[in-house]
Order: sequence, then C-alpha cells, then structure tokens
Amino acid sequence: MSSGLKGILTSTTKADRLLLFILILLSSSGTLFVKEVLPKGRTVQIEVDGQPAYVLPIERERTVLVKGPYGNTVIEIKNHKVRIIESPCPNKLCIQQGWIESGAIVCLPNRVVVIIGDSQRGTESLFDAVDAVT
Amino acid sequence: MQSHDKYRIALLSAYALALHGFEGILPTPIPWLRLGLANIITLTTLLLYGLRAAIMVTLIRVILGSLFTGTFLGPAFILSFGGGVTSTLAMGLVLSLMPKLFGPVGLSLIGALFHNIAQLLLAYVIFIQRIEAILLISPVIILIGTMTGSVNGAVSDLLIKNLKKTDEKDKNTQ
Repeated sequence: MSSGLKGILTSTTKADRLLLFILILLSSSGTLFVKEVLPKGRTVQIEVDGQPAYVLPIERERTVLVKGPYGNTVIEIKNHKVRIIESPCPNKLCIQQGWIESGAIVCLPNRVVVIIGDSQRGTESLFDAVDAVT
Repeated sequence: MQSHDKYRIALLSAYALALHGFEGILPTPIPWLRLGLANIITLTTLLLYGLRAAIMVTLIRVILGSLFTGTFLGPAFILSFGGGVTSTLAMGLVLSLMPKLFGPVGLSLIGALFHNIAQLLLAYVIFIQRIEAILLISPVIILIGTMTGSVNGAVSDLLIKNLKKTDEKDKNTQ
C-alpha cells in the first residue's frame, strides 16, 4: 500500500495541489465567516392571549393591529426595530418601552407578546429538502 | 468504440450504479452528506474512454439509480441529474482544454465543486427561494465535497493505473 500512496503523491500535479489548497482555504474561511456577513434572518413573533397571531420578517416595514381582551394593540416594524404605538392598557408600559431590536415587549393587560427571535426555519427546510434527496 | 470498450463501459456503469446504491444505504453523520463514490467511476471512464463514454455512464447511473429508488423525474432525480451531468461536463471540458494541467485528483475536485454548485443552484430554484439559506450552507457543502473529492480522485488514479497494468499483462499473454 505504501507504494500506492507514494504513487498518488507523485501523480498529483502542482495544479492539483494548488486547487486543493485554494478550495480548502476558501470553503473553510467561508464556513467560518458566512454567518457574520449574512443579514440575520430574524422574525417578529406576535402572540395574543398565548396564541401565535403573526410571524413577520423584521426587514419589512409594517404596522399590525391585533385584538386583545381590552381592545386593539398597534405594533410597528421599521428599520429592523419593533415598538408598540397604540395600546388600550391602563399603564402604557408597553408603549414606554419604545423601540426594541432584540428581546420582547410584553403587554400583560391586553395579553399581547411581541418577541424578536431567530428564524431558523429557512435553514431547517433546506436541510429537510436535501435530506429528502439522499 | 471497440466492442471491448463497450463491454467495459457497461461494466463501469454497473459499478457506478452499485457504488451509488451502496452509498445511499451507508450511514453518515449528516443525513444529506454523500461521498460521491460514483464519481470515481465517472472520472475513470472519462480518463480512459473520453467524455462521451463518461456522460453515458453518468446518465445510465442517474436514470437507472432513480428508477431503482423510485425517484425518477422527481425533485431528487432533477438534483442528481443536474449535479451528475454538470460535474461530468466540467471535468471533460477542463480535461480537453488543459489536458496536462490537472491529474485525477484535480479533476475530481473540479467535478465535486461543480456537482455541489449545480445542486445548490437547483435546490435554490426548486426547493427554497432563500438565497441566504443557500449561502449559509454552501461553504460547508463545498468543504466536504473538496475532502471527498480528493479521496475519490486518488482512488480513481489507483484504479486507472491498475487497469492499465492489467491491460498490458493481457497484451503480453496474448
């Protein structure tokens, strides 16, 4: 087997080794850095009374109205941030919290929860798709 | 093409098909990981009998393989077909344009790379229109492809050398 291994080494050309080196370098650095480069695929999840009402991408500007026990809560998504702009609750703590980029806003009286979470769904469905292929 | 060669192409197709099927039942740490063992046969065919024979072996493997697993003309077939044909064409093109530049290992790396790129593009078009998901997974897939590709190239190199040796022996005994 040793002669076989030697044979492999001597039969690779310089271009072979260069190509191998470049591919390993590019793909391993890509593996390490791709997460930093990509925009984070985050979502805004809105729950009313414990029930999920909306899952929205944080990139898209949008104003959403949801109906809680007290009345209507208006949530605004803009510039990758979220805030509650209108709420029927008595103390308006949720509005005072202002813009958030991560974490959550909870309006206990009107039972509205706004969570910014990572959306892993895209990657998962990719894995599922490739899995179905193998 | 001599009848001797035809017989060998049929045999090579059968080997490719067997390796393709064997690899399908082989447990791997990541479910979508494939070793691309069939590419050993494709590359060997390309180097010994040329591009036309290699394409033939690839088509026979992809079509019969999908018929056996019941995925013919399904999305898995499209991925397998696109990847197989693209990688064979890429290897054949590089070999005919720059015959002396790359050895079997380099050609195998090119084949693996184009196989991966074609499948990622097809996966993007067919399954998920989310470019960030594809970008996220591409470097990992290409890294694994590079590793399996270099091993496959080395095996193909050994195979070709041994086939040539037996050919010479046959000629001497005749």
